[in-house]
Amino acid sequence: MPQNNYEYFLLMPQLIIAVGIVLSVLIEITTKKSEQILPWLSIALFVAAAFDSVFNINQNFVLFGGMIEVGGKPAIFNFIFNIGAALVVLSSIDYLKKYGTYYGEYYILVQSSVLGMMVMSGAKDILMIFMGLELMSICFYVLAGINRKKLSANEASMKYFLLGAFATGFIVYGIALIYGATGTTSIQNLVENFVTYSSNIIFVLGFVFFLIGFSFKIAAVPFHMWVPDVYQGSATTVTSLMSTTGKAAAFSVLMIMLSAVFSGASNVFRPYFATISALSMLFGSIVAISQTNLKRMLAYSSISHAGYMAIGLAAGNLFSVAGIIFYLAAYAFMNIGAFTIISIVEGENDSKTDLNSFAGLNAKSPILAASMALFMFALAGIPPLAGFFGKYYVFISAIQSNLTWLAILGVLSSVISVYFYIRVVVFMYFKGSVEDFEIQISPYSLTAVIITALLILVFGILPDTLMNVITSVIR
Amino acid sequence: MNIQIILFIVLASVAAVSSVVMITRKNAVISAVFLVLNFFALAGLYLLLNAQFIAVVQIIVYAGAIMVLFLFVLMLLNTETEHKLFVDKRAIKFFSILVSAFVFVQVAYLIFFGHPSRTLTPDEAASVKAGTIQAIGQQLYTNYIIPFEIAGFLLLAATIGALVLAKKKFE
Amino acid sequence: MVIINLIYLTTLLPLAGFLINGLFGRKIKNEKIIGIIGSAAVGISFLIVLGAFIQTLGLPTEERSNTVELFSWLNVGGLHIKFAYLVDQLSLTMSLIVTGVGFLIHVYSIGYMHGDKGFWRFFAYLNLFIFAMMNLVLGDNFVVLFLGWEGVGLCSYLLIGFWYDRKFEKGTTSQAAKKAFVVNRIGDFGFLLGMFLIYMTFDSLNFKEVFSRAASFPIAESTFGLIALFLFIGATGKSAQIPLFVWLPDAMAGPTPVSALIHAATMVTAGVYMVSRASIIFASAPVVMTVVAVTGLLTAIMAASIGLVQNDIKKVLAYSTVSQLGYMFLAAGVGAFSASIFHVMTHAFFKALLFLGAGSVIHGMHDEQNIQKYGGLKKYMPKTYITFFIATLAITGVPGLSGFFSKDEILWSAYANGGFVFWLIGAITAMLTAFYMFRLVSLTFYGKERFDHHHIHPHESPALMTVPLMILAFLSVVGGYVGIPKVFAGEHGNLFEGWLEPIYAPAQAKLATFGSHTHLEEILLMAVSVAAVLSAIYFSLHVYRKNPQIAENVSNKFKGFYNLLLNKYFVDEAYEAAVVQPIQKGSEKFLWKIFDVKIIDGMVNGVASLVESGSGFIRKIQTGVTQSYAVVMMVGIALALLWLILSL
Repeated sequence: MPQNNYEYFLLMPQLIIAVGIVLSVLIEITTKKSEQILPWLSIALFVAAAFDSVFNINQNFVLFGGMIEVGGKPAIFNFIFNIGAALVVLSSIDYLKKYGTYYGEYYILVQSSVLGMMVMSGAKDILMIFMGLELMSICFYVLAGINRKKLSANEASMKYFLLGAFATGFIVYGIALIYGATGTTSIQNLVENFVTYSSNIIFVLGFVFFLIGFSFKIAAVPFHMWVPDVYQGSATTVTSLMSTTGKAAAFSVLMIMLSAVFSGASNVFRPYFATISALSMLFGSIVAISQTNLKRMLAYSSISHAGYMAIGLAAGNLFSVAGIIFYLAAYAFMNIGAFTIISIVEGENDSKTDLNSFAGLNAKSPILAASMALFMFALAGIPPLAGFFGKYYVFISAIQSNLTWLAILGVLSSVISVYFYIRVVVFMYFKGSVEDFEIQISPYSLTAVIITALLILVFGILPDTLMNVITSVIR
Repeated sequence: MNIQIILFIVLASVAAVSSVVMITRKNAVISAVFLVLNFFALAGLYLLLNAQFIAVVQIIVYAGAIMVLFLFVLMLLNTETEHKLFVDKRAIKFFSILVSAFVFVQVAYLIFFGHPSRTLTPDEAASVKAGTIQAIGQQLYTNYIIPFEIAGFLLLAATIGALVLAKKKFE
Repeated sequence: MVIINLIYLTTLLPLAGFLINGLFGRKIKNEKIIGIIGSAAVGISFLIVLGAFIQTLGLPTEERSNTVELFSWLNVGGLHIKFAYLVDQLSLTMSLIVTGVGFLIHVYSIGYMHGDKGFWRFFAYLNLFIFAMMNLVLGDNFVVLFLGWEGVGLCSYLLIGFWYDRKFEKGTTSQAAKKAFVVNRIGDFGFLLGMFLIYMTFDSLNFKEVFSRAASFPIAESTFGLIALFLFIGATGKSAQIPLFVWLPDAMAGPTPVSALIHAATMVTAGVYMVSRASIIFASAPVVMTVVAVTGLLTAIMAASIGLVQNDIKKVLAYSTVSQLGYMFLAAGVGAFSASIFHVMTHAFFKALLFLGAGSVIHGMHDEQNIQKYGGLKKYMPKTYITFFIATLAITGVPGLSGFFSKDEILWSAYANGGFVFWLIGAITAMLTAFYMFRLVSLTFYGKERFDHHHIHPHESPALMTVPLMILAFLSVVGGYVGIPKVFAGEHGNLFEGWLEPIYAPAQAKLATFGSHTHLEEILLMAVSVAAVLSAIYFSLHVYRKNPQIAENVSNKFKGFYNLLLNKYFVDEAYEAAVVQPIQKGSEKFLWKIFDVKIIDGMVNGVASLVESGSGFIRKIQTGVTQSYAVVMMVGIALALLWLILSL
């Protein structure tokens, strides 16, 4: 039971979205004009929730009898989720018209998935993690296949659902074993007695299953198989939501579960994370080289970025928490930017997502080309863009934990990855147009692109602005 | 050997065998029937664990309501044409069985022979108390009110999702 | 302290120039205004640097190193990095070169790029380059340096591919640009690792802190060696040394002023600057010092030998640049850091001049770059000829010109600290340099006119281009007199060395002192090398001016060797076969096609199913693929559990 009404007040970001979902359902049912109302309502909700989170960032409490944490680290994640979702919705407005017919449910599902993420990032009980994860995942499964007329979208949705259910099975099994070994689902308890519990093989086995399930959600090798097909087949805006905020939510859970490790307990799972991180980085960046479809290429790049972030999990110190959060924020914005540009250039029926469609983009639209180049350089990790500092912090944390070999692999694979990011820039700037088609630049999508580009620049030139906030709350 | 262990072995093997039969049948109706059997076996297992409420709900909701709906749908649709949903590939099948068996052996080994310590914390008295409808209701509306509410949204999202995917036509 | 504190303007002004030209250049249209904005941004920066330089000169030696803090940049987990500039003797020297030569090249470009449709873009990129380069040389810690390091790489990339619609040799300019970028990133890989190691070892990335700790902390030589080695890998990428030199010749695809500014005078010397900045780290790792010296030496002679037979005027100069950069690393490797920076400076003057002169020739010859199709241009473009000739004399090391002083100092240090073989190879390289440079001059300006008079009408370039040439020619002559060898000028006569001495004092203290050599020895060696160079010049002129058939006979006689040189020792081909192809093929054939698609799908192509369409789609969905994806996950799980079983 809430101690007093103040608890509801602190839960405001979640409540805003929850009320918003109900409201949106009512609007969708009652009015035919939902097409004009829902996107803006969603954006208003997301922005309100984001700023409410930020304003209460120092009010760090655990509410409802140890169920959900507000303020602090969850607040930062809520900010990433909500701003990310707001940008995605902004870029969806015109894209959905191009992609197929309009569905009001799209916005409701986006809101629900964000609610799920917020539950995950604030979870203080394993049950909450599971509820949040399912809420988010089910919305994603549907969103991936939102256009029933499109075969590729159906296939993506189907694959995602089947494999996602498979992974969820392991998570549930893991939770059951953890509960069986400890008799509790309270994360507070798990964190406090982590060292004691980790000498119990049942607990460790359960934990490993849990980690495996979430390795699927963050798209780490060898649990990555769904990523290329799903990212390529889904609607581009949905992909941008899944690949950024979805990944951030999964990482937030991993950091919650491993918080004992981050505050000093010895990291039993270091070999596991080090391995998947090394595999993901190298596999993702090497295979991306041979991709010609931009969405598929970014899917592989997403795998390798999961690898870089997993370095932080392997390192497991306070510095790496800050590094991962910074990286996630930076990655969310640069990837949303890149996918938004793809969604602008994209034609009907999944066409024009090839590299060739980007040839000579500079001549067609200098601003799109310049922003895309910015995002590519940021993803490649070239200073002073946000992507560089994300990698930099994570690598430094690895070195602090004596995982220099992992940092070296990371730098190596980021060197390899430059090749395919730079190829996009080459096509846009140094090649004449191959396919002759007009690009309809939607003003809303363009706004989203410009906002993300500015964020990337600000976080790159003044990384301290964000980093100070992060470090102030993780202690 | 007490009656509980015998019951467990029977119910567990029924559950396992029925689920294997379910996924290997080509006729969807037969699959559905075996799914019902599987649910009943699970309900029995819940009972063994002192979870009366869940056992009852399992039978009423799953085996009763949902499966009846399933069967109606299956019988109304002509399901015969859909039986080639899965592409039959011998090599993959063989390999997947092999790998799954390997994982099974590993898990079994870890649970029964793993070291350094294997501790489960069973609490018979607590589980008896927790299984009653009253206890569940009390917990659900106090400690677990937030997950309960989230479950509401989960169902809402699932319903909306199902509607989107199943709507016959879009304007 | 007033002007020194204004040093941040020297980066802000070019940045402002970049923003103005980049954002509004397309609208401004007027070339004059764009050119003036671009040049003024650099010109004013030069004046500020000059002011700071004069002010610093007036300070006592121990107060000459000042830090200008702008803002706190990164501040987390024990890592405190300020965005700050270090104004000391070394950074001022580099800044003077960058802004000074940069300004002249900006002015020249107004004439050279006249009428190009990307005029505004060109100036925007050039200003961005100056911004990045100034950050590189002024940064007071490794992170700011790295920011500039990546920035100049980016600008270099943008400018090499500037004429993307033109063909370049076998491919396109964009391929050349990409090659430069990717090769540079390999170097950056080393540099980043070096930075990490520095942070691990010294717990800081600030120059002053790191270097003072390097001098005082008890640290194993192997640690220093590893750090120095990684830093040096970074330097080989940026400064085009073996094994990463392959991008520089291709970088000639860019417009000629770019080659002069970025690929001759400034950016490529960044590696030398970095080595010289971190002199204390290198000096603490004698083995790596030898590696640096030998790499420099080998690069110098290898590039010079390739330069002997190239026929593209810019290619000859490109290999000459690689070769001269080799000299600089030779100097650094034998501990003569100030000599290497001295050569950076004189080289900036004469090599920029050579490139701009070449640009002037190309401009006058309607974009013809093959020297076999020149000849007798002396009478058509007298100003270009005279300045080019002066630069050639300077680079060959004819006594009295700037190149002589710096090259002689390097050769002498190589002898005194490295040994006779170092000196000998250095001197042979000098001979080769003299030979191919005079071959270039002869084939271009002397002899029969081998071009088609109907189509090509050679003409002198406008004053906007020739005046910078003359200024650079003047500098190429007098630039060396700040560093007159001690043997002539007395113990304190070498002003340049005296100016930089405080920077290298800690490094010199660690290095073995120069062996005692007599003045006679030094003068004797100098005389021998000068004689060798002069005879090479004579021989070159004899062959290419008077008896061109000799060259043909020789190349026919040693056909194999000639082809080896003409094809640049087949290094490009070897890299292609050994590195590029395997990665690409591995990605395409193995990792993706086989591992990700074929084996996993059991010969069902998962991608093809995505594009299939039609009615009854449910049946066409390849759920079989999904099954195999699940199997891969299972394998992963099995491996994770195996780890668990084995480790616990």
